[in-house]
Parts: sequence; C-alpha cells; structure tokens
Amino acid sequence: MDRNQITKWLKAPAKMANKYSLHAIYFCTGCGIIEVPPVITARWDAERFGVIPAATPRQANLFLITGYVSVKTLRAIIRTYEQMYEPKYTVGFGSCPINGGMYWDSYNTIKHLDKYIPIDGWIAGCMPRPEAIFVAVTHLWTLIDKGMANAYVKYRENYEFYRRNQEMALGKLEWPPLYPIDSNVRAVENA
Amino acid sequence: MVTKIIQIILSPVLALLIGVFFLGLARKIMARIHWRYGPPLIQPIIDMIRLFYQKSVSHGRMFDLGIIFSLVGSVVVVLFMPFGKMCPLRSSGGLLVILYIMLLAPLGLALSGGQGANPNISIGVSRKLILSLGYEVPLLLVLLAVMTQYKTISIAEVVNIQQSIGWSIISWPLFLSGLSYLLILPAILGIRPFDISSAPQEISSGPMAEYGGKYLALATIEHAFVLFISIALFVNLFLGGAANPVIFFVKMLVVFVLGLFIHAVFPRFRIEQAIKYLWRWPTLLAFLGLIITVVIRS
Repeated sequence: MDRNQITKWLKAPAKMANKYSLHAIYFCTGCGIIEVPPVITARWDAERFGVIPAATPRQANLFLITGYVSVKTLRAIIRTYEQMYEPKYTVGFGSCPINGGMYWDSYNTIKHLDKYIPIDGWIAGCMPRPEAIFVAVTHLWTLIDKGMANAYVKYRENYEFYRRNQEMALGKLEWPPLYPIDSNVRAVENA
Repeated sequence: MVTKIIQIILSPVLALLIGVFFLGLARKIMARIHWRYGPPLIQPIIDMIRLFYQKSVSHGRMFDLGIIFSLVGSVVVVLFMPFGKMCPLRSSGGLLVILYIMLLAPLGLALSGGQGANPNISIGVSRKLILSLGYEVPLLLVLLAVMTQYKTISIAEVVNIQQSIGWSIISWPLFLSGLSYLLILPAILGIRPFDISSAPQEISSGPMAEYGGKYLALATIEHAFVLFISIALFVNLFLGGAANPVIFFVKMLVVFVLGLFIHAVFPRFRIEQAIKYLWRWPTLLAFLGLIITVVIRS
C-alpha cells in the first residue's frame, strides 16, 4: 500500500474498501467468460487488486455480465442483481450487452442491457482482452473515488422505468418489486 | 485482579489479530504456490471493512442470533486457551469445557443457516455437522489420552508438565495421539481435503451462501477464531505450549503453514470419503494411543 493512501483511508474508509475489495460475480452468459479464467489465475492474477470471484450474489459487489444476454438469461440477471447488497457495481463485458453486437438482429437476445439493469461501465470489444478487465477495474476505481459509480442509486430512483422495461421484455415478472412503485402512476399508464 | 481483566480483554483481541493474519497469509501463500503475486497481506481486513459498510438484509431473528452465538462460543474457548503464559481462565474447566464449547461454533452457524432457507445452506450445514461428527470421535480419544497421560484436565497444567519433560508429540505413548491430531487438523480447520462444507464451486460456500454485508464479516471473524483455537490447542497439547507469546506464535505459524501446503495441493474429498478416512486411520491411531496410555499409566 502506498504511504500517501493512508490519509485517503482515514478520510473515507468505505470508499477505499469498496475500491480494493471487489468481489465479482461473473455471469457466464456468453463467450466472454472464457476471458475470465486467465484473469483470476496465474497469468494475470486479479487478486493483486482485490478482485476475486464470489460464490453467491450476497457476497459480491461487482457484477460482470460477460457476453450476449438472451431473454431467458435476462430474468436470471435481474434476480441476481437484485439479490446483491448495496453498494454494488455492474460492468457489461463485450459488445453484445452494449448494443447487441453480432446478435444485433437476433430475435431472442437483449440489445441494450442498460435498459433493464443499470450499468456502471462498459468494456467494448469482441472479445476484449483480459487486460481490458484491469482497465475497467481502474476506471471503476476512479468512478468510485469521484462518487460517480452510483448505478445502484439510479436503479432505486428510476426503478419504475427499469421494471417497466423488464416487464416488456419478459412478460409478467413472478417476483415482487424490489422498491415500492407508486401504484397511481401505474394505473394511469395502464389506462 | 486487574491483570486478569486486562487478559480477558486482550486475549480475544490477540486471537482475532492472529486469526486474521493467518487468513491473509493463507491467501498470499496460496497465491505464491499458484505462481501468482497474490493480494496484500491485509486483504481480509480490507474485505471486512467493505463488508461492514455494506447494507445487508436479515432473514429472521435466528439468522442474527446464530452467528453471534457461534462467535460468543469461540470467544469463550479463547479465554480457556493458554497463549504463552497468558490464560485468563486458567484455574477452571480446562479441556472438558473446551471440548463442550468448541461445538457451539458449528451449531451456531447451523442455527443461523436454518433461517436462511437456501438449499445450499442446508447441504452445507448437514455436511458440516457430519464432518464434525467425523473428527469429534478421534479428537475425544486424543484428548482422553492426553488427560490420562498427564492425570489432569487443565491445559495450563499440561503445558507446564511439557515444559519440564519435553514435548508430548515426541514422547512415547502420546506420539500416536499427536499424529492422529495432525491427521484430523485439516478437518477441524476446514481446509482443502475437507472443505466439503464450504465448497464454493459446488454448493456456493455452503452455510455462508446467504451471508453478505456484516453477516459475512462476522462469519469471517468466526473463521479466524476457529483457526486460532484449533491450532493453539494442538500447540498447547503436543508442541509444549510456550513460555512467551512470540515462541507460541512461531509454533502456530509452522503448524498453519504446513496445513496450507496440504490445502494448496489436494483436491476435495466427498463427504463419505472424508468420514471413511476420519474414522479409519486417525481414529485407529487415537484409539491405540489411548489404550497404550491407559495400560502404561495404570
């Protein structure tokens, strides 16, 4: 640890701890997951920076969506995301979650993931190299430092927007809303 | 009186610090064995700070109480455990009390997990309890042999005798019991050949599956205490304890690093393989050791 970091630790321990302890839950939807094993094992060793795979969403605070998102996996992604405890960060990995990528005209993939869950940052490329994950992590550190990695706050504030999009993609959702939804607004919209 | 109070406050803190240091060291050494650079030594502390600041959801009253229950059990065991010359509750209880209270830790986690209502937790808890059934039998035989050999139930007394006549792991009848304890030590610590109860890849870390935020932090602290207790018990009973804390710590370090090497290279047992192993060689050795000790001492 740098000596000049000690003042930072004393000033904002929560922020610093969030930065250096990113327990990631990898959502192995597509081909992107193939880039993750080199990252966490001997070749690139993400544990140097405190990034390790977490066993369950409850223990994680970083959500990596690696690869295309089909309608079926979107359901699982939303449930996983809602199970994680705040503060939580999401990173879309590869070009498929950004805009559909090579599945841009597929009938059963989601084109823009950030319509359904909030995303803190993207790693573009098809496939991105493992180094790109480290670049993403350092960018995420900068965002956390500046207090801009607040996608989970956006999710809470605009939950109605996200929930509506989720319902449009998946039909009726079998789980109750994570945050209270103003039922009057809904009634007006449905009418 | 004042020194006793200071000791009662100090010894759990010391145990926690050593346990957390061991957790960090474990990650670093594991990384080096994997040819990785590894996290900084204070990584578990960083994780814990993060977890304490995170929000978390309780799954019910027993979910909260169970983890505290097991934490309290561990702290009480630490008070009975001599650390160098420091042993706050030296005059009371001894081995028998430790034997009873050591069971509180897995029991508390089981109670807490029961409220979590996650199938992975149920599997993990049942494996944990079966595993503790597996190692409690040889452990009991080992402790009985030690108690018979030295004709005392006080650990402090056992340490004192060993200081004058030499370590019990190299003395004749207790050699078998010491070997048996070494063989079951990975099971007590829950490291690799026996990490069946908390297998992250298999059952999503078992009893800890629903823990997040401060619950996971408390579970980590609990794990640190368990590391300290089981290694300190071995050092006290078989490696002669120590006259001062530094030597005691060095002895613990050696035992722990040996355990880590096993942890780093072995794959995981299945639960029935673990029981088969635990109830065969360690139990046989411990039983033999107990019989020989009884015959010699009577």
